[in-house]
Amino acid sequence: MSKHSALDTFGRSGNPLIRSDIFSRQTSSLHERMTLQGAVDKTGILLFLTVLTAAVSWNIDSPMMGLISGLGALAAFISGIATFGFWFFFIGWIIKPRPHLAPKTAPIYALGMGFGIGIMSEQAEMMFPGIVIQAVSLTFFVAASLLFAYKSGVIKPNQNFLLIIFSATVGIFLTYIANLIFSAFTGASFSFLTDNGAFGIGISLFVVAIAALNLVLDFDIIEQAHEQGAPKYIEWFGAMALVATLIWLYIEILRLLMKLRSR
Amino acid sequence: MSFLTGFLGILGIISFISFFFLMRFKASSKQTDRSDRIKWSSYIPYRENSTKKTRKNENSGQDADFEN
Repeated sequence: MSKHSALDTFGRSGNPLIRSDIFSRQTSSLHERMTLQGAVDKTGILLFLTVLTAAVSWNIDSPMMGLISGLGALAAFISGIATFGFWFFFIGWIIKPRPHLAPKTAPIYALGMGFGIGIMSEQAEMMFPGIVIQAVSLTFFVAASLLFAYKSGVIKPNQNFLLIIFSATVGIFLTYIANLIFSAFTGASFSFLTDNGAFGIGISLFVVAIAALNLVLDFDIIEQAHEQGAPKYIEWFGAMALVATLIWLYIEILRLLMKLRSR
Repeated sequence: MSFLTGFLGILGIISFISFFFLMRFKASSKQTDRSDRIKWSSYIPYRENSTKKTRKNENSGQDADFEN
């Protein structure tokens, strides 16, 4: 029984335009909202792309691969900035976030980062056999644990949580930039970043903790966008944010394990 | 392969499967029914035309809406 009596009396329209596929297609495209399953699928696709290019750069040992990896990392950086934007203290947004670009930029980001991760992982594995499996496993263990804590409501991110994690993340980012500039001029890195003493390991543990807590923010973005019926492309945006944090977490865990094993 | 690597490998596989399994489910009401949640929509701009379109069609069901 329809909710409109007119439809019950006269039946549905026989007008071919109204009954055509075009009409229903337009309606369905306007109704396209993001789903949790969609975000899961996109996360899987992006991780697959990352592993794919990582495997390529791991297995092909040539100087050309170094150049390709560098270009891949640059493409990933540009994709990340274009999608997530660039925020600067006191000034605000220099480049505004453009989440609608995510369906195009997310695969570029994943492919580009994969090249860089592959080379990094291969070098770590040559120095410390078995370290990559350990780092990947610990990354997913941390991610799954935090996801459970988030879904069950044990960790409840609020505005203060966001402020603390965001400030710490920006602080780490600026330290890495300063280290990059310092090493370009002196050829050496900040000792507290590479030191395998108690202080260096403490710094690494802190960075791993901040990277892990960034995952909670990503889970919250995906969950809330789903609740609010965000457009379909937010699936790509959420998946890209999640994969970016997972990659960062993996790199930091790898660095921490290298410090521990070199003691 | 050392015992530690093998153990962590198995832990990693279980964690990987659990991660993708858990992601499909909605968060508990303890998480979602809070007044102090982060308002992500104020930080992440959804494209305006898409939002307008979806809002416009929010109430449309299977049948057309006729105004009385």
